[in-house]
Amino acid sequence: MRLRFVGLPYLAVVLSLIPSLASAQAAGGGTQTSGTTSIPRTSDGKPDMSGIWQVLNRANDNILAHSASEGVPAGLGVVDGDEIPYRPEALQQKEENFANRETRDTEANCYLPGVPRVTYMPFPFQIIQLPEVSTFLYEYVHATRYVHTNGSEHPEGPINWWMGDSRGRWEGDTLVIDVVHFTDQTWFDRTGNFHSEALHVVERYSLLDADHINYEVTIEDPAVFTRPWTMRMNLYRRTEPNFQLLDYDCYAFEWEQYYPYPGL
Amino acid sequence: MRLHQTTMALGIGVALLSLPAALFGQGTVPEPPTAPWAPARTPDGQPDVQGVWRPVDGGTQSLERAMSSGEYFDELATGVRKDYPSRIIDSEDGHIPYQSWAAALQQELEAVYENPTRPEHIDTQTRCLGPGVPRLYYFPRFRILQPAGSVVFVWDQYHSFRVIPLDGRPHVSPRIKLWSGDGRGRWEGNTLVVDTTNLNAKSRLDVIGDFFSDQAHILERFIFIDGTTMHYEATITDPTVFTRPWTMQVVQRREPDEEFWEYACHEGEHDAARTSSQFIDSDVGDR
Repeated sequence: MRLRFVGLPYLAVVLSLIPSLASAQAAGGGTQTSGTTSIPRTSDGKPDMSGIWQVLNRANDNILAHSASEGVPAGLGVVDGDEIPYRPEALQQKEENFANRETRDTEANCYLPGVPRVTYMPFPFQIIQLPEVSTFLYEYVHATRYVHTNGSEHPEGPINWWMGDSRGRWEGDTLVIDVVHFTDQTWFDRTGNFHSEALHVVERYSLLDADHINYEVTIEDPAVFTRPWTMRMNLYRRTEPNFQLLDYDCYAFEWEQYYPYPGL
Repeated sequence: MRLHQTTMALGIGVALLSLPAALFGQGTVPEPPTAPWAPARTPDGQPDVQGVWRPVDGGTQSLERAMSSGEYFDELATGVRKDYPSRIIDSEDGHIPYQSWAAALQQELEAVYENPTRPEHIDTQTRCLGPGVPRLYYFPRFRILQPAGSVVFVWDQYHSFRVIPLDGRPHVSPRIKLWSGDGRGRWEGNTLVVDTTNLNAKSRLDVIGDFFSDQAHILERFIFIDGTTMHYEATITDPTVFTRPWTMQVVQRREPDEEFWEYACHEGEHDAARTSSQFIDSDVGDR
């Protein structure tokens, strides 16, 4: 069993979020508010997305709408139009991926999951927002991303990074992150939806209120898709008191029994 | 706020300056002033120590002989064994105060780390497992971020990170064990004091098999001498393994700020898994 299902923890997260979402709405939240949009803002007036966030969807199982199957809850899908515009020759690769998903999926191997998948893995992540750079810290394999918002450009390629190179800018109250320089090894979900090294990702983070982010991500990869396509979903703030990131170092699980020494 | 603190620092400095003159009378040359470093402040009032830091003598080969990996390979190549200082500042003899069974186990691991015959003989670092606390602090290099209410460390290697809350919240349940433990911090002047528990202690302290147990409690002190020098001190209390608490020190220097680029280890790592497959029944050769 190479896939690491996390169904039960996910359910616990859903249950624990329900009361806190209600109380958070009642309490408001955030450090500064302006006008009618009650979103927190930093001292330089930007929307303040600092905090710990998590999706509540099944996109990591399958980004398209799907019925339930054993170990996989049903999902409404997160892709606009519920269709991924594969080139005809790429569809065959997708089917091969699905058939071999228990060994080929980056998640099955506990590799860094790439962008945007890391956003909708069923684990919390923390945004450390500072003016020049926002640092994204993910519980899943403690992946990290630096989102540079100092006007700098992508470094010159070719570069193959599992998490790509992220450069951000503000368009009004939306943080827009341009991500390039990927490997062709990461997938979009457990069903084998894939991309090439030419992947170009544009993420858009917009605070809806203090505790919700509207997340939209556009996928462009002419080698695999006939046109750009878009996913959208909500990110929910983890508002439980003293909530914090823990560990999910899945690549270590098979070795932990040996350290610091067996039986110690 | 900042003005007030600057004035305070100046006042202390003046007091220090005038003290020798008062003691020894006119005509004595006073010692140079040693006013405490007056750091800039973050918006929430922390000493601002953000930026990139690196251990002066980085390297995780040995705690008792603090050598870099380059110096270690020199030693291997030449066969000449030089003296290197111990990172251990307490005990006085520079040795880790192991209980006798633990000393024997460490010596056994040290004897075989170059020629392993069992999975546990291979250093966790070779397997790309997280170095954890305190080992991360003699790895190059890390960035300190200070969002309101916490201190965040992000390393260049192993994409390791730690978030240290400063709000006095309790530790997580003792049922939870973490690769870098659960740190709770507070500022005492220019020293960040971090109380670290919930350690899984899976990562060794160094390549040669120095170790502790998941019963360990680490008190870390990040002593910022000035804007460019910090002394990292970790006192490890672990009655399961040691005869008494002991303390290591690693001097860190600030480096010019530059971007950290991706470091993927497990993703491209095959050697350790294949080597291990010789020693265990389960097939890991496909990793």
